Amino acid sequence: MKRASVLAGAALVLVVILVVFLGPYAWIVASSFKPQFEIFRDLNPISWATFIPANPTIANFVHLFVNRGVGRALINSAIVSSCQVGGTLLLCAMAAYGLTRIRFRGANFVFGVVLMTFLLPIESLMVPLYMHVANLGLQDTLPGVFIPWIASPFGLFMLRQAFEDLPRELDEAATIDGAGHFRIFWSVVLPNVRTTLATLALVTFLFSWNAFLWPLVVIASPRNQVIQLAIAQSVSIGQLPNWGETFAGATIATVPLIVLFLFLQRYFVRGIALTGVKG
Amino acid sequence: MIAAKRRAILHWAAVTTFVGPFLLMLLMFQYVPVVRMVWDSLWDFALLNPDKRTFVGLGNYLDAFDDPDRRQAFAVTFGFAFGVVCLVIPISFFIAIYLNGRLPARAVVRTVVFLPVVTSSVVIATMWVFLLDPTNGLINGAIAMMGFKKLAFLTSKAQALPSIIGMMVWQQTGFATVLFLSGLQGIPRDLEDAARVDGCGWWQRLRHVVMPLLGRTTVFVVVIMTVFSLQAFAPALIMTGGGPEGTTDFIAFDIYQLAFALQQPGLASAISTLFMLVVMGVSLLQMRLMRSEWSY
Amino acid sequence: MLRLSTALLAATLFAAPAFAGERSAPTADCPQGVLTLSVLKPQNNPPTPVMISAWETANKCMKIELNEVPFGQLADKINVLAASGNPPDVVMYDGPNTQTYAAAGVLLPLDKYFPAGLKADMVQATLDEHTYEGKIYSPGTQQASLALFYNADMLAPLGITPPRELAKAWTWAEALDAMKKCQKGEGDNVTVWGLAPSRFGNATPGFVYRDLLFLRTFGDPKAAPDSSAYKTYWALSRDAKTAQGWINSPEAVEGAKFYSDLFNVHKVTPKAGIPNAFQDKKACFTIDVSYFVAGLANNDPGFKWGVTPLPYAKAPIVHTGSITLGVMAKGKNPDEAAKFVLDMSTGKIAEDYNRAARALPVMKSIAAKMTELQSYPLNIFLEEVQQWGHPRPPSPHFAQYDKIVTDALRDIAYGADPKTRLDSAARSLQPILAR
Repeated sequence: MKRASVLAGAALVLVVILVVFLGPYAWIVASSFKPQFEIFRDLNPISWATFIPANPTIANFVHLFVNRGVGRALINSAIVSSCQVGGTLLLCAMAAYGLTRIRFRGANFVFGVVLMTFLLPIESLMVPLYMHVANLGLQDTLPGVFIPWIASPFGLFMLRQAFEDLPRELDEAATIDGAGHFRIFWSVVLPNVRTTLATLALVTFLFSWNAFLWPLVVIASPRNQVIQLAIAQSVSIGQLPNWGETFAGATIATVPLIVLFLFLQRYFVRGIALTGVKG
Repeated sequence: MIAAKRRAILHWAAVTTFVGPFLLMLLMFQYVPVVRMVWDSLWDFALLNPDKRTFVGLGNYLDAFDDPDRRQAFAVTFGFAFGVVCLVIPISFFIAIYLNGRLPARAVVRTVVFLPVVTSSVVIATMWVFLLDPTNGLINGAIAMMGFKKLAFLTSKAQALPSIIGMMVWQQTGFATVLFLSGLQGIPRDLEDAARVDGCGWWQRLRHVVMPLLGRTTVFVVVIMTVFSLQAFAPALIMTGGGPEGTTDFIAFDIYQLAFALQQPGLASAISTLFMLVVMGVSLLQMRLMRSEWSY
Repeated sequence: MLRLSTALLAATLFAAPAFAGERSAPTADCPQGVLTLSVLKPQNNPPTPVMISAWETANKCMKIELNEVPFGQLADKINVLAASGNPPDVVMYDGPNTQTYAAAGVLLPLDKYFPAGLKADMVQATLDEHTYEGKIYSPGTQQASLALFYNADMLAPLGITPPRELAKAWTWAEALDAMKKCQKGEGDNVTVWGLAPSRFGNATPGFVYRDLLFLRTFGDPKAAPDSSAYKTYWALSRDAKTAQGWINSPEAVEGAKFYSDLFNVHKVTPKAGIPNAFQDKKACFTIDVSYFVAGLANNDPGFKWGVTPLPYAKAPIVHTGSITLGVMAKGKNPDEAAKFVLDMSTGKIAEDYNRAARALPVMKSIAAKMTELQSYPLNIFLEEVQQWGHPRPPSPHFAQYDKIVTDALRDIAYGADPKTRLDSAARSLQPILAR
């Protein structure tokens, strides 16, 4: 009897959570396959039609790709995010190696400098960073979007932790075999922290793909636009939005990440938890 | 002697090669802008032609303190962070408890709750503009179906900020849940079992065994949620333009507007500097609290 | 993962040069290569595809790359781009910003490109708006003014026939009465609104071009220059240095109160946008420009509609000026960009555009050829410009004025106290105007 009521309570919680968290997604995705007047019509009253398009059309998507340059924006985002991931992994791994495997004076000071940046609210740096990047001639370029962020304090922190956890016997053995720092770094240390690297790659990709404020500031011409800007443009309070098209844009921007997330959930959750537990 | 010198050179060459690039980029893109920001905050100029500038000393800071709109932006941003933290903590804590139990469909719930975390703030703000639309929004549709009066949401001075707090809670619950869950999983089962043997009920076990052990995690979630909330920008740009009457004028948005739309980057830099100091202060304070939590 | 990213990184670095260089390799037809001009413009605004392709046909060795942004983000985008080293060649911007951009050196003066007699062909209001310190910055593509469109099928059963002549124009009290009578449903269940929500600017209430008129019409240009009625009509001191007392005068507050009441007391218009409210028969009236005539004529909404002059309170007024093309001072192809701007604004391309869009031409020579301007409904828009028209308050800080006043009006529409909110707008504006 008690077991039954616990189960009923749990089921209720389950339903509430599903409705609250999945409902909005279902509505957006379903509506992206509808023309605008059907979206409004199917809302009063809410019924199954609100969440399932009766006559699905891909017109919204076609229009986005043909007239709004969303294809270009997706490619740009993919380029930016991949470069940011690559750059971050390389720079952070090297620095983490330097900090943990080459003992040098001032290492702690360097790490302190890195830790300090955790406290800087990035949002407040937008204006000077923009002027700085403009001076370097990087404004309105794709490299301008990711280069400022590849030296990620978070990435260094995470990898430094993983490197510390690796037994020193591994690289000592390699040193005896006559391996230099690069060999040890590339062939001994990196292969042993693959999971952490993958986690960092995913988290970096997530942040890079979803970044908005900095691209908004640094990118001006639509041909260099990234996907989040393209979406924000079709909605924002900048004009009367076309609902169906906006939903289609939101769907396009979100689906790649959700697919990635569903397949690599474990790494994602681990990475996010790491930002917390060790940050 | 020469060999030692050679070794020293090689040593520092290795250090430079491995740590140098990272440090250089960090200095260039984080520390240089900070210096530049403080410097710019002492000048009055326009972004349209930044070379024409007048030195105003601390004038921008005085203007910032003097201007009720700027004070409101600080109040709104911290009020927002407070509201988000107060709601996210209990909600995510109970979802984490649910997920830590032996109930069915845990994997589904964990995935679903986490979806907004991987969705960008732009898409979320976009979704919610439409969810909250006063005439054709999904939420008002549901409210009307249940026979209640439709709400004004973002067009109302009283409801705009709470609406965005609601959205932020929805967005961040998954994140906080994961943090709590990893904290819960670190609690040894035998502790709970011992309490059960002693005859403690579910609530007593939660109150006297689980909660005290999650102190550190909780402080951590508070820090993270505060920092995330202080960074809010997309909701203001996409959903409200900072209105009505400045009630959703988050600092990050205020800075953006001042610099780019109102062409006062000097003032924007002064506010940025103040904001940076305040956030650093808050973070340090919270970290201190956390350290004291560690010590039991 | 690392290897894949490195490969991608390398690939992009090699691919990057493809973005640079706007002139392609020479071909037989174009020994100098094909030049691509970049044009930044707001969505759903000219230059239209028809205009672009007509120009590309006439200029075989040039191509146009259009960059479109929502109207509400245009000003921010231009501000950011102007400061960058990579600006577009041509921008379509909102006319009152000419002074702002000219003063900041964003726009290129076009005097040396202007053919003889072109200035004399321009309507005076446009010429004034686009001239700064003696130099001309844009020829202007179109003039525009707002009038009140109505759904005649909905008004007929109520026995309401709006006037068609400026001399008999409705006052706002009369218009409000008609809107109230025509509205169907109340509270959450309004099916037909008296007045459609604004589709302009941010698609929220407050757009200066439309909504500042509610304040200005409560003023009086014939009153003494130090009277608050006079100041209300101009909404900013004539030397553009003072907003205090001009934007928040007692009459302006009265106007703002009337404006607020439309949303909050009479509730004849909604606070949130509804796409196509008028065309979808969800509103009896809408305030729109002359090209809305073209929209209704080309896509028959399925009901009879009409146009009446914009209602007024004390003194009738409409805003003149429209979006217009300019050449970016830091652009790399000023000569070609100037040619494009002039071609879009004069001659056959402009004439065809003005005719198709039912836009009011800037060039008197084109206006003379468009007989339709003399008859209903376009005559209403033209006469409004001629008899009631004034620019939005001219100032080298118009962009900031526009933003601050828009925000204030939006808040008032949402229910803020008119006086308090206008006072705070005047206060925010003062240091900016004083610079």
